Amino acid sequence: MDRMKILLVDDEHEFVTTLGERLELRNMNVSIAMDGESALGFIENDPPQVVVLDLMMPGLSGLKVLEKIKAMDPKIQVILLTGHGATKDGIRGMQLGAFDYLIKPIDIDELIIKLNEAAKKMG
Amino acid sequence: MTHLKRKEVTFFGKITAGITHEIKNVLAIIQQSSGLMEDILDVTENGAFPHKDKFLKSLNRIHRQIQRGIDVTTRLNRFAHNPDHCPASLDLNEATEQMVLLASRFARLKNVVLESSPLDPPLIIRSDPVSFEMALFESIEILLNAIDSGGKITLSSRKIHDNFVVGVSYEHTVLPEEESLAKIFSSERWASLQEIMTYLGGTAKMLDQTPEILLYLPEFIK
Repeated sequence: MDRMKILLVDDEHEFVTTLGERLELRNMNVSIAMDGESALGFIENDPPQVVVLDLMMPGLSGLKVLEKIKAMDPKIQVILLTGHGATKDGIRGMQLGAFDYLIKPIDIDELIIKLNEAAKKMG
Repeated sequence: MTHLKRKEVTFFGKITAGITHEIKNVLAIIQQSSGLMEDILDVTENGAFPHKDKFLKSLNRIHRQIQRGIDVTTRLNRFAHNPDHCPASLDLNEATEQMVLLASRFARLKNVVLESSPLDPPLIIRSDPVSFEMALFESIEILLNAIDSGGKITLSSRKIHDNFVVGVSYEHTVLPEEESLAKIFSSERWASLQEIMTYLGGTAKMLDQTPEILLYLPEFIK
């Protein structure tokens, strides 16, 4: 079975690299981007099945990145990461085509369930 | 609340909310790092790591403390967002639960357990969230100042006819003496509570037999 291709986008370096290592240990193919612009460049060259995208980043906002991803390839599934008090942004993201949103700090098991569901939707 | 006071409170709220996000990022990194250690231990063969059990026990403790940190910062974040809208819709059950978590430490210093007993359905009023939380906190502090040590303070909300009522009651095998309860009415805190309740369009009463402070609130603040 092919390994699930995931792109993690978050400006918190230590968070995103550690989460990436944990997902790799679960046999997933993980790439990392630290901001919206590099995430879009990455997707153009090597599109993933699922993008895990932080909403609060310097530069391009998570919602803007989401819009651009959906414009590039609407089949790519996006799971948003939001903070408490920002659930409105998560809901807005779902209106813009995000698969779902999770509130940070996230539970790895919950993320894996969402990743599997999203990958299934991507087909 | 004056315009300047409102701005000050909003400023404090904004800064505090921003800092809670930073603390949560720190917690998220600790959570994932300790999770990674656990993952590695899971894939390590039995016997290959001599102190595996001790490590797992310690990681468990870290997870519990991370969760505690998440709960506290989540409450603090919600509290910090209180000044965002005024007046705002408030669920009295939710607000009392929030106050219990925020004020528990103050109660613990007097060996008092702080609890809320939420009732269904939600009791929604339109009020000033910051001043309402202040009234709850003042009520708790009034009781804490009147007692020696130990016992339980319970926050409960109910609707009596057209009145929305929040009760802050104290239970203990040894109740405070009448004299210390009587002192409450001449205290600065009681005057402050009355001032806040007047602003909220309500009243505060004290049932000294129990003892219980009752906060009567209108459905809509004027």
